Amino acid sequence: MAIASHVNENAFCERRQRDWEELDVMVLRASRMGVKKLDTDAILRFSPLYRDICADLARAQAARYSAPLVDYLQGLAAAAHTVLYGLPSRTRHLGDQPFRNLVYAFPRAVRRHRRALLLAACLFFIPFAAGLALALHDPTFAFRLAPEGMLKPLAEAYAKGFEEGRANGDNAMMAGFYIHNNVGIALRCFALGILGGLGSALYLLQNGLAIGAIVGYVASKGAGQNILTFIVGHGSLELGAIVIAGGAGLVLGYSLVSPGEKTRLASLQAAGREVVVLVAGASVMLMMAAGIEAFWSGSSVPTLVKRITGATIFVLLGLYLTLAGRASRAPSPRESR
Amino acid sequence: MRASEAVPPLDTLVEIETPEHIVFRHRIAGPTRRLLALLLDLLICYAVVIAVALVVLVVTAAGSISVGDEVGGFFKAGLGLTLILLFLAQWGYFFVFEGLTGRTPGKRVLALRVLTVHGRPIGFGAAALRNLVRAADSLPSAYVLGALVMSLSPRFQRLGDLVAGTIVVVDQEVKVARPVVLSPPAHPQEVEGLPEHVTLDADERAAIELFLRRQDTLGPARADELARMIAPQLAARYQAAAYSPARLLALLYDRASHAGRNEGPVSSRNRAHSGGGASWR
Repeated sequence: MAIASHVNENAFCERRQRDWEELDVMVLRASRMGVKKLDTDAILRFSPLYRDICADLARAQAARYSAPLVDYLQGLAAAAHTVLYGLPSRTRHLGDQPFRNLVYAFPRAVRRHRRALLLAACLFFIPFAAGLALALHDPTFAFRLAPEGMLKPLAEAYAKGFEEGRANGDNAMMAGFYIHNNVGIALRCFALGILGGLGSALYLLQNGLAIGAIVGYVASKGAGQNILTFIVGHGSLELGAIVIAGGAGLVLGYSLVSPGEKTRLASLQAAGREVVVLVAGASVMLMMAAGIEAFWSGSSVPTLVKRITGATIFVLLGLYLTLAGRASRAPSPRESR
Repeated sequence: MRASEAVPPLDTLVEIETPEHIVFRHRIAGPTRRLLALLLDLLICYAVVIAVALVVLVVTAAGSISVGDEVGGFFKAGLGLTLILLFLAQWGYFFVFEGLTGRTPGKRVLALRVLTVHGRPIGFGAAALRNLVRAADSLPSAYVLGALVMSLSPRFQRLGDLVAGTIVVVDQEVKVARPVVLSPPAHPQEVEGLPEHVTLDADERAAIELFLRRQDTLGPARADELARMIAPQLAARYQAAAYSPARLLALLYDRASHAGRNEGPVSSRNRAHSGGGASWR
């Protein structure tokens, strides 16, 4: 150190420049193509070069070398740091069976947050029942929640039944619409939970009331059996996913309102990491629902088959959410309760 | 968050300490730069969506006509595909790019990068969170809520950044600055009156260096005016009153930077953060 401290800046640069340039080239290549694309020699060289440049930076700062040199070293060290301390390999934290663990992570998260999800279900299904009852009692109630011009043709369409089925083009169009619309609703329903949970709660209430009223209106026009047949196939997935996304939003909001022993920010971030898997799962559920709704629910398959399939999906979903991942329950590091 | 006794400087820098005890400073990106990146991203993303949708719709419409399908089955399927594209544009574009590389194309153009608050690259989890909460940030419209939260946050974080624990920084350009050279070179007679060892403290050195780098862009009168702010004190310290202020600074800097370590008296100004200012001893 004593010797080094008397090295003047130019000599220092001259001596170290070659290493810096070597690291610079490596960093550039690694940040373009990923660290995995570096050859073995480069990877072996990377770590010592990075440590050296950290020492060089410390030396340059201590010796008060000129600002551009310090900035250069700092920039290079920061870039190398970004490469070296990159993410842990994307699959490592999922263990040796990444797919299996992903499939289990979702139902585990659902069970962990069952109270929030129960609340979300109440926030959705109570207005749903209310909307249904009100619209059955007085069909014009539905017009306050959805335009009359949309509801009347809807009721007529359901009254016709499904004997004719739907054209394949229509099915594909509706699949796109369901993904765009329903997944969007669920994601937004989650995101607005950050406003203390109020956004999610309002979204759930409003959607529950509107969907209930629409179903009630169609039923009051004498197409109740038909709309039930239509909904039963995808309903458990679709409505379940909206409740899960909304519940995830409630968890997020509650973490802000009642952070416990953490700071509000830390609590929010912890909740965010917890619920992101719920949102991902809900999105997958909605995409499956979109496929079923577009290609199956409106098809000319006999009513009985549709209902049995719907019940089967409901039971399978229930079993998956309540049982999957229980037996080989690995304690997750994020589990706090 | 680590509690520090010293008051952090009021600046848009964030300090990140590595396991090697090296402290980096990342420059936090401001709202304007991020807005520009956002607009660029929207432009790129929706331009692609519109282009692809046009191709899809034209092809499917032609397909419908060619098979003599009046209902337009193909065309309707094309519409469905367009809706899926729109969905991907709205919810997938930012997520995928940021999850893979930490930067969207717009951010790349404006040299922005998303990092975690610990200075690490973000993964898909954080990318998903910060871009889902975008829906809340953009409320009631045009990112008003996000801008408000950003202006209250010391690190310009919008709601999505707060939840995901991310910051957006300006990527450091790794460039070698040319060293400051004395021009014209010192004449032997010229430096006779100067002491052999010149020691400048870090602040003096930084100030002089900044001045010398900018000198060419300044008029002589302005350069003289700026140099006079510090030259008299240095002239008094080294008994070198005979030089023009700007030349004196250049000569002193040259001496100091070629004399190895430039340990000088610690500046009277309080350097709150100890990044480079702390004595190494």
